[in-house]
Amino acid sequence: MSTPEQRPEGMSRRQLLRHTAWFGAAVVLTVTGGEVISHLGGTPAPAAVAADPRALRFVQVSDSHLGFHGPANSDVTGSFARAVDEVNGLGFRPDFVMHTGDLTHLSTPDQFDQVRQMMRGLRTGQVFTVPGEHDSVDDHGQKYRAMFGAGTHGDGWYSFDIKGVHVIALVNTLALEKLGHLGVDQLDFIRKDVAGLSSDTPIVVFSHIPLFAMYPAWGWGTDDAAQALSYLRRFSSVTCLNGHVHQLFAKTEGNVTFYSATTTAYPLPHPGVGPGPIPVTLPAGQLGAALGIRDVTYQPGQHALALRDLRLADRKPS
Amino acid sequence: MTPAIPLLTRLGAASCLAISGVIHAQLYLHGYRMLPGVGPAFLLQASGALAVALLLALNTTAVLRLTAAGLAAGALVGFIASRTIGVFGFLEYGLEPEPQALISIVVEATALVLLATPLRHPRHGQHSSPRISLWQA
Repeated sequence: MSTPEQRPEGMSRRQLLRHTAWFGAAVVLTVTGGEVISHLGGTPAPAAVAADPRALRFVQVSDSHLGFHGPANSDVTGSFARAVDEVNGLGFRPDFVMHTGDLTHLSTPDQFDQVRQMMRGLRTGQVFTVPGEHDSVDDHGQKYRAMFGAGTHGDGWYSFDIKGVHVIALVNTLALEKLGHLGVDQLDFIRKDVAGLSSDTPIVVFSHIPLFAMYPAWGWGTDDAAQALSYLRRFSSVTCLNGHVHQLFAKTEGNVTFYSATTTAYPLPHPGVGPGPIPVTLPAGQLGAALGIRDVTYQPGQHALALRDLRLADRKPS
Repeated sequence: MTPAIPLLTRLGAASCLAISGVIHAQLYLHGYRMLPGVGPAFLLQASGALAVALLLALNTTAVLRLTAAGLAAGALVGFIASRTIGVFGFLEYGLEPEPQALISIVVEATALVLLATPLRHPRHGQHSSPRISLWQA
């Protein structure tokens, strides 16, 4: 005979209470443990980092394609203006802004001039760039270097130190067949550049095309990147930031973490989806969510950099 | 089956789950916390696995066993997804990071096997001990 307390087809009220109590205990312990572990990480509050003069904060902007005309984005200039506006509205002045290539769509003098004028509106310590393949369409990057190449080596690569972080900006878009390519001279530059650095120096590497094999069939990789990365193996923290693929992506290989950035212009398909990396036209109102910028923080004493990807969707141009 | 065997099985599953939690906590602290989506997932797995491992060592209630199995299976599914389709845009290859990846999948698979092992559990009014599964209430 079944009663409300004990039914043969189900659990008794007492059993239910017992299960609920144990599950509740698991939830309470999980929340408590999560609090403890997250505090062990020592990630300081954003306001504290912004106020810490030792902290490095920079912004990555990528693939603005000024001069692009197409249904995927009928106003890339307006989108880039919103990106500039978003950088200026971050609530802190970044130490630098890095544009990781494809500033222009067809490398025309007007497009280069327009992007430089617009980037002058960035409220930041310095503005750096690396070229994309769209910035060297017909001249092996000569117009790009004339505009942005001051103080660089070779075809436009360079490095600098800022707040304890060593930054390397690479050019892997000039000698590409299908994949990106660095070349012997640039590899030699990297080897010599890091030779005198202590192994605990945080390294940040910028390039346009990914230095990892994200999707080689579409050229989303660099054929001689392994050689470059071999020079960086001894460093405890290496972060590689790239553009080109117009979408967020992250991957780790040992001590190296790779992050692909999204675009300020138009999205591309996910790897292998569709016939190739051609601009994707999103339904009305959805483009802004696919575009964005990234702010990056390095707090001295931390092992890794903290990344925050911000969408352009919610911000109106000023 | 002697009473010591279910206890050992339960403690074994709890230990495996605890190791999985420690590995995820270590990776979270080492840098995975910076990965969008992946960081919170690692934190949830680490704190959940450690909490349920502790409680599982104290009691064998079905809800704990199911939660433990869910955490172990979820971690394994996440591992496979991160090597195939990606997780929140995050992709890794092979058994990186070493040795945490290999240890993690071994202890999570072991935890699932131990949690699926039928136990003998005495019930009131029964002289014999009917076989019940860890999945049963």
